[in-house]
Amino acid sequence: MQLGSRPSLVAVLAAALLVSARPVRAQVAEFDTSHTVFYEAPTRTHMFVYSPSVGARASPWSWLDVRGGWEADVVSGASVATKAGPAYQSNHIAADVVTTASVRDLRNVGHGEATVKGEVTSLTAGYDYSTEHDYRSSSLHVDARTDALQHNTQFELSYARNFDSVCDRVQGETNPVRFVALENSTGCFTSSSLRTTHPIGIDTYEGSWAQSWTPVLATQLVYTAQLVDGFQSDPYRSVILGQGIKGQEHEPAERAREAVTARVAWYLRAVKGALRMSVRAYGDTWAIRSGTVEAEFEKSLGESLRLMARGRFYRQSAAVFWSDDYTGGAPPLGPKGQYWTGDRELSPFWSWLAGARAVLTIAPAHGRLLGFMESLQLAGSANVTGFSYDEYTLGGTPVTNAMAYVATLSLDAAF
Amino acid sequence: MNIKIRRSGRLRIALPDLLVFLFPPLLSGCVTVAPQQRAILADPTMQFGAPTAHEAPLRHAIDNREGSMGGHGVSGGGCGCN
Repeated sequence: MQLGSRPSLVAVLAAALLVSARPVRAQVAEFDTSHTVFYEAPTRTHMFVYSPSVGARASPWSWLDVRGGWEADVVSGASVATKAGPAYQSNHIAADVVTTASVRDLRNVGHGEATVKGEVTSLTAGYDYSTEHDYRSSSLHVDARTDALQHNTQFELSYARNFDSVCDRVQGETNPVRFVALENSTGCFTSSSLRTTHPIGIDTYEGSWAQSWTPVLATQLVYTAQLVDGFQSDPYRSVILGQGIKGQEHEPAERAREAVTARVAWYLRAVKGALRMSVRAYGDTWAIRSGTVEAEFEKSLGESLRLMARGRFYRQSAAVFWSDDYTGGAPPLGPKGQYWTGDRELSPFWSWLAGARAVLTIAPAHGRLLGFMESLQLAGSANVTGFSYDEYTLGGTPVTNAMAYVATLSLDAAF
Repeated sequence: MNIKIRRSGRLRIALPDLLVFLFPPLLSGCVTVAPQQRAILADPTMQFGAPTAHEAPLRHAIDNREGSMGGHGVSGGGCGCN
């Protein structure tokens, strides 16, 4: 660059700064933290997860929001390592053919995103990176949103791309039936000659249309599609396939998934509360079909307290290759093609969920809280969910008391 | 909606019906809630948005206990499949 052009460049930069600095206002900043515990102890297994998170948001200009944060899952428990069904167990009455293994993991996620806002449109781009002992994930997402018809209509399009990888054992066999499950995560993501990684690519697309119909009624329609390409099994789990044959779980590498969700929010003036309901239909190329119905009722008590109660019902069919016992027998037992899994989430089942949440918002009309906060929001929620498995057993023993408990406390402060 | 299936198995749909079906948002142009009537719609209890930091862990737990997904946004990193 020539020296002579420098003064003019400085002038342009200064002018740009002045122009961009002129709409400086508000300088709003928010900080939030949440802490969640998850616990379940169905037959023969248990899982405890503590998930802390912190996040921050700043709006240095009226047209820009910047967000960032960190979250983690601290996991301990025991899960099924070798899955067998009733037919195999009945032929080995003296033995316990199902085994479990302890699980300890730590998942860390860092994320950041920026939103550029216009009069009626906004564009968001963000990045997430997460690590676990046996899993790595990089994820990019973009989102475009626009309002129309005096803000009564909103359209939103989103896309995310995950570049993930999962750790596995280096197999000495080429026949998947003889693959051995990963025994632990030691050596994962190192140069260990005993470990390898498999890539997983995930493309997720979502489009939504939200509409205000009356001063008390709004609806939303959401379509979601996802393409997953890569290793989708649990590398730690084996399934007994026959006498003396225990193969690492083996699922198809491709999966296309789609869902349609319809929501309605209706404010009931008589009880001064909002009823929100949603219905979701889901299907994928593994032949899982599911339906979900959710209802929430939320009511404000005074200026600062909101109480919410929720209920949810879910029902799904099995993946086409899922069987409770791959060693044979009359239907529904027996092998089903070239794939096998011990995953209860791919079996046919139904579940229910009930929960409640309270949100307390403190926003002084004059001055600042403790001299520096514009508002403070405290929230607490508790949820319990139960699962009823139609066919999934552990060696013929039904999985009972499959209940999970989730509780969250969070704090959100605005400055 | 005027939809007929011929014996040949082909689906026959009248064009106006198809437009209404494919572009239901066009109907929304007939609906206007004036800005001064939007107080309740702007209330936190009436929002559909993506899961907040408070709700996200519950959604994550549910997604990992079911064979389904969808309807709650696209972002998120990692497996956390335990």
